[in-house]
Amino acid sequence: MSVESKVKDIIADQLEVAVDKLSKETTFEDIDADSLDIVELVMALEEEFDLEISDQEIENINSVGDVVKYIESKV
Amino acid sequence: MLNIFKNMCLKYPIMQGGMAVRVSTAPLAGAVASAGGVGIIAATGMTVDELRNEIREARRIAMNGTIGVNVMFAVRNFAELVKTALQEKVDLVVSGAGFSRDIFSWGKEAEIPILTIVSTSRLAKIAEKYGASAVIAEGSEAGGHLGTELSTAAIVPEIKSAVNIPVIAAGGITYENDIVEMMRLGADGVQMATRFVLSKECTVADSFKAHYLNAREEDVVIIKSPVGLPGRAIRNVFSEALARGEHPTINCDNCLKVCSHEYCILEALENSRLGHIDQGVVFSGQNVFKMKEILSVKEIFQNLRGAFSIKSK
Ligand SMILES: Cc1cc2nc3c(=O)[nH]c(=O)nc-3n(C[C@H](O)[C@H](O)[C@H](O)COP(=O)(O)O)c2cc1C
Repeated sequence: MSVESKVKDIIADQLEVAVDKLSKETTFEDIDADSLDIVELVMALEEEFDLEISDQEIENINSVGDVVKYIESKV
Repeated sequence: MLNIFKNMCLKYPIMQGGMAVRVSTAPLAGAVASAGGVGIIAATGMTVDELRNEIREARRIAMNGTIGVNVMFAVRNFAELVKTALQEKVDLVVSGAGFSRDIFSWGKEAEIPILTIVSTSRLAKIAEKYGASAVIAEGSEAGGHLGTELSTAAIVPEIKSAVNIPVIAAGGITYENDIVEMMRLGADGVQMATRFVLSKECTVADSFKAHYLNAREEDVVIIKSPVGLPGRAIRNVFSEALARGEHPTINCDNCLKVCSHEYCILEALENSRLGHIDQGVVFSGQNVFKMKEILSVKEIFQNLRGAFSIKSK
């Protein structure tokens, strides 16, 4: 499975949205994710991809595409 | 709760809540620590050097007491302030108003407990997972920025059953029997703030304390803070202007990571503690109207300590 589809699966699962609603351009604002949703999402991503994401890095993540790009740069 | 602190001079599980800007500084925190509670310096709005001096001064006042530092996550120099507190080997660090994940690894490295202020069991669980040593469950009676509309008594049992770390109840606690009630609801300790503003040792201007003493129940209001959270404060000229939608002009130095820039909350808090009440925000808990005298910290503790002898029955 590509990073992108894995990321989409995790986001869909964590934030309870349909996978086919998610594109790289989808922002967290679009799907009404609050700051705690993001923290929980990051926890799930850290577990899945075995990495650590810092506060600062989270600030720069606003869309599905940002997550994919970030994960791809780390794994 | 005692076991989360290495410092065994803690006689009572009573924390004095951190109060920015410069409402809880070394004299108050040192007096609380000397009396056997946890004294907390609010770092929000301070520079690194100022914080370092305050910590050293509090240590000088309370040699063996328990001293902590409170930092609001939203403040731009959050990381520097937390790291300064850890370097100075405070006994604990409290963070609130936003969730930092990095702080837990810094705390682990320094072997210093990190406590997170929470208002929901959801955030409490996240904090526990990341390694918080305890959570402070803050209900809507609290002063300052608020994370919930639910009362302290409503959230404490829920948060207690959601986590396995100690839960410290905060918001509206005034008397000995309030502490007994919180312990009955499952709290392992309490945090109190408004009561300690009305102490001899708190260094805010006399007019700030007078504004507390004169407050009636209906004077305690909710204001909008540019941090993006509601805040509990005592009605004054400034809060009335905000309610009408007026905002003072600001000199912004971008001190917050997130800010609506409607007014400067740090400046407004600094104004009031200096005594310019009309030009500032006077944060206060909901039960301020129940307190009618300024006591020494020692007297405050004498009035509260019975809660712990009752509990052992
Ligand atoms: C003047 C004032 C300033 C405060 N500043 C902070 C702060 O900087 N950080 C924080 O976590 N809580 C802050 N609080 C909340 C208190 O630490 C505490 O949790 C709360 O007020 C407890 O409720 P009580 O005042 O009814 O005892 C502040 C409260 C007051 C009254």
